Amino acid sequence: MNWERQLELQAWVDGELSAGDARRMAAFAESDAEARALANELRMAKAFISANEPEVKVPDTREFYWSQIQRRIAQAEPAPAASHALSWQFVWRRLVTPLSGLALVTFLAVVSFNTFREPAIDDSSRFMVEVENLSDDVGSISYRSQSENMFVVYLYKKDQEAESDTQSDQINDSFFQ
Amino acid sequence: MNNRLFSSRISRSLLAILLLVGSSVNTFAANLKLEAKLIWGTNDEKSPNPDHKEVDTATKEKLRNVFKWKNYFVVNRVTKPVPSRGSNHFKLSEECTIEIKELEGPKVEVKLIGKGKEVHKTTLSISKGQSVVYSGDDKNQSAWFVIITELEEK
Repeated sequence: MNWERQLELQAWVDGELSAGDARRMAAFAESDAEARALANELRMAKAFISANEPEVKVPDTREFYWSQIQRRIAQAEPAPAASHALSWQFVWRRLVTPLSGLALVTFLAVVSFNTFREPAIDDSSRFMVEVENLSDDVGSISYRSQSENMFVVYLYKKDQEAESDTQSDQINDSFFQ
Repeated sequence: MNNRLFSSRISRSLLAILLLVGSSVNTFAANLKLEAKLIWGTNDEKSPNPDHKEVDTATKEKLRNVFKWKNYFVVNRVTKPVPSRGSNHFKLSEECTIEIKELEGPKVEVKLIGKGKEVHKTTLSISKGQSVVYSGDDKNQSAWFVIITELEEK
């Protein structure tokens, strides 16, 4: 008889099989001498164990025993609040790391943006031009052509200027359209 | 295990920061690509110098709309980059050099250097399509021009 068959026989003795399986197992035990012997042995062991199960008695009185249990339950009652606080701390600790990282990245983004960003040019500063003559001998006239999107600096020798008081007008007439 | 998790988070955060800062630098660095042309303006139909080539039609029309000369010839053409907050020299002839400096704003400082001496300085904002023109009289009722334009990045 194999191991599985023995376990099945034990289940039958313990009354754990279904009605159909129990009938099949009873027929098998009836026909097989080894199975029958094992079944008898298991029944004997079962009867012996159940008849000699040790009875454990509590040394205290029934009232004292239950009062102790009641006291421990009462002591354990605030525990959910502590557990809640613990979980809140745990959640906070878990959130702090990514939030601080995000804050740092945002801060650096803002700082780098302000550092490298060119200030927006409004129309007034777009058309602001500084011109400076660096030579005493040369004069200049600057002119902006809006239609041609062109800024012109006309340079002339200052000794020419002395020849006429209306130099600018002459230059305009002779140089520009 | 916690240490490993922590170091992994730090590595990821550092990587994100590096990428962010790196991309910011590339986005806002104002490197300019400029072209300076020395041009001769005349009413003559042809230039006596065979090396001079006539300017393109668009430039000729622009110049004709502002100045009185009919024809314009390219004497020299120099294209150079001007790095952010840096400067570059554009030597157009033995006597004429232009120094361009990129400034905060963004603006450019254009300095005309003639025969090794600083002659004139202009500080202005420059944009694509805009031209900065230095000009002056030349012999035989002709004129010289230095045209500075910002080129499209390629």
